[in-house]
Amino acid sequence: MIFSYLIKRILYIIPILLGVSILVFSMVFFIPGDPARMMLGQSATEEAVHLLREELGFNDPFIIQYGAWLVDLLKGDLGTSITMRIPVTDYLLPKLMNTLILTAGGLVICIIGGVGIGLIAALRKYTWVDRIIMFLAQFGANMPSFWLAITLMWLFSIKLGWLPTSGMYDVRGGATFVSLIEHLILPAFATATVSLAVLARLTRSSLIDVLNTEYIKTFRANGISESKIIGKHAFRNILPSLINMTGLQVGALLGGALFVEVVFSWPGIGSQIYASITSKDIPMVQAGVLFIAICFVLINLINDLFIASLNPRLKN
Amino acid sequence: MSILAIILMLVGCSTDQIGSSPQSDNSLIIGIESEADVLDPHRAGGWVTFRINSQIHESLVMEDLSASAKNSPVPPIKPGLAESWEISDDGLTYTFHLRKDVKFHDGTDFNSEAVKFNFQRLIDPSFEFYDERGAGNLTNTVSKIKEIKTVDEHTIEILLSEPFSPFIRMLSGSSTVLMLSPDALKKAGTDQYAENPVGTGPFKFAERVRGQKIVLSRNEEYWGDKAKLDQVIFRPIPEDSARVLALEAGEVDIIAVPPPDSVARLEQNGFKVDSGNPPHVWFLSFNFNNPHIQDVRVRQAIIMAIDREGMAKDLLKGTATAAYSAQSPANEAFDPNFIDYEYNPERAKELLKEAGYENGFEMIFQTSVDGSGQLVPVPMAEWIQQDLAKIGITVKLETFEWISYLGMWAAGMAENVGFNQMSWGMSTPYYLYNIAFSDSFANAGRYKSEAFDQAVLNAIAATDEAKAITYWQEANKIVADDAALVPIVNDKAPYVFASYVEGFVVPNEEWYDLTQVTVNKK
Repeated sequence: MIFSYLIKRILYIIPILLGVSILVFSMVFFIPGDPARMMLGQSATEEAVHLLREELGFNDPFIIQYGAWLVDLLKGDLGTSITMRIPVTDYLLPKLMNTLILTAGGLVICIIGGVGIGLIAALRKYTWVDRIIMFLAQFGANMPSFWLAITLMWLFSIKLGWLPTSGMYDVRGGATFVSLIEHLILPAFATATVSLAVLARLTRSSLIDVLNTEYIKTFRANGISESKIIGKHAFRNILPSLINMTGLQVGALLGGALFVEVVFSWPGIGSQIYASITSKDIPMVQAGVLFIAICFVLINLINDLFIASLNPRLKN
Repeated sequence: MSILAIILMLVGCSTDQIGSSPQSDNSLIIGIESEADVLDPHRAGGWVTFRINSQIHESLVMEDLSASAKNSPVPPIKPGLAESWEISDDGLTYTFHLRKDVKFHDGTDFNSEAVKFNFQRLIDPSFEFYDERGAGNLTNTVSKIKEIKTVDEHTIEILLSEPFSPFIRMLSGSSTVLMLSPDALKKAGTDQYAENPVGTGPFKFAERVRGQKIVLSRNEEYWGDKAKLDQVIFRPIPEDSARVLALEAGEVDIIAVPPPDSVARLEQNGFKVDSGNPPHVWFLSFNFNNPHIQDVRVRQAIIMAIDREGMAKDLLKGTATAAYSAQSPANEAFDPNFIDYEYNPERAKELLKEAGYENGFEMIFQTSVDGSGQLVPVPMAEWIQQDLAKIGITVKLETFEWISYLGMWAAGMAENVGFNQMSWGMSTPYYLYNIAFSDSFANAGRYKSEAFDQAVLNAIAATDEAKAITYWQEANKIVADDAALVPIVNDKAPYVFASYVEGFVVPNEEWYDLTQVTVNKK
């Protein structure tokens, strides 16, 4: 049963990816201005621009251009960057990796922070501790991410001097693990806030619900320690819904990371798409958007399969 | 746990790919406003990239950037890779005598063959290494070159098809042909050259991690005064506030393009601020297809109604100065005392009345929302809108994203548009040709004046420099009398840097010399 679900779910991806590829490709036609003109500069002759358009195939009909692009795509060739003249795929994969590092960092903070805050709030329910931390989590989540990012930089880098403001590694010292972690914390936190608040709310409310059930009251009546009740019994009960929600948040984190990158000069795929749109580097924008779309599709797939594997009805 | 494992795995992959650069204390980190373009000097566009390419590569003639903007309003031309040159009386033959002691960073000789190679790459479509992208990029400079001749190993002749008086100035500025190593280009191939550029300059290319840094190291074999720094690191931080914070946190030593609001505070906190008056004009082009605008009295009234002084002081907090000349500053033909029209809203109202617009009229003003060198276009446009409202002209703003705007800016305006906006400038008076000559692509307003065109053609053909300047000034006067363009402000292009950075001079140019800079951290 789970196997047939798996096959069905994977086959289902194909039309989605095909649709994505058409959208990504046709995006070029909606971007105003002439990329060939951009490459050669405003003072280049019409003739040179025309020749370059020929060379790049911009003069062919849509379907021919799309077909050629799709064939190359299936070979793993997403074209050559217009501004840098280097293969886009080789160049973007490390950037994608950097974005995934940021997303993963955001995920860790979101899980630890969200569950932690939710737990404390549930245990101190309806007290001022509960109200304050839930208010803070909600407040953080509703702050514009740009403003939050700048505030974090100001507080932790300028006032406290604990963490670097932006970038991914210390440019003098080179790429060390410690340097990476230092640079990761602030952008990961900025990426995580919204999802963190969602998880905190969910943890709090479901834990409060569970702690009010009859069987927990029975445990208490039997003298089982509170920490064991929460750690072992109550928490296990809310775990499936937490996992479900966390899975849903991974996509949101990835999307958030793309914006946060720009503010923190994090050299990921979001910063690159932003820069490439500015320089009208169409193959780079296409590949960047396509990579992100594929990531989203894969994340959703893994999430669905994981949840399915937890579902007893699908197990037999 | 598994998530932690994934992170460690990702980090493992990522650290491998980055590599590491040698540690150095005597290095300078410059926080730049955007990621650089390609490090192939013929293909690269934009000032951000030229500031890097011109540390690695050099041209035949150069600008002396050692004096500050205040002491040297026009950066003088000085010998570069050519120690001297002659121009024939007919203005068609330029003979350059090359330095004999110069080697490229890869150890190959710099000589007349190398110079020929570099020019051929841009002008000779039959040449094996011809590059149409570079050729398009540098058309302004190379389009009038007919032939390149090597006379001997250290002498080269450039033959022009017609006299072109701005030629030497063009060869010293950002449209110059910077000399790259032919050997390196042949080995790497024309597309890969930019990944490991090889020039003759005071700094050698060391490393580039895109989106993170470009590292240059001192050229120990440099033919001129060697750089004092071991390393220069250019670090792109496109977000304005993040760039300022990186400076305050001591992560970078210099920042370019500080947001106007931050400058005074940074100065109070002990940072040094320096600025120039480089060739950078933020201006409006009147649309000559608009029936109201076709009346010269209306155009003059609009110029007189705009408080340029107030905008520079109050809105831009002194990071720009009011501009009264269409010609860009920092060239010999620029007259700092020239004033097209004084601010005079009362006279503006009278002029409108004379033109039959006692009750004003409506028009559209097009501008971008951001972009390279655009300062803060929307608040500036609103300022202009308010000033014009005072004389009865109702301005409707149309704003565009930068890239779309660049594409449409010079394509001609619809009839209901009164003017649009751009910022530009060059260290040669030839700039005026670009923005106002009848056939120029960048004549956005479609201004057409025979007298202006003739003055410009005379200036370009003049073989005597003093005469050329007189013609350029005549052209500037005609544009001003016709009120074809509205110069609004000249950007001062400020830099903010840490107190321990010494020897950093901001010349009257859009780029700088880093050889004399030292970092004295205590």
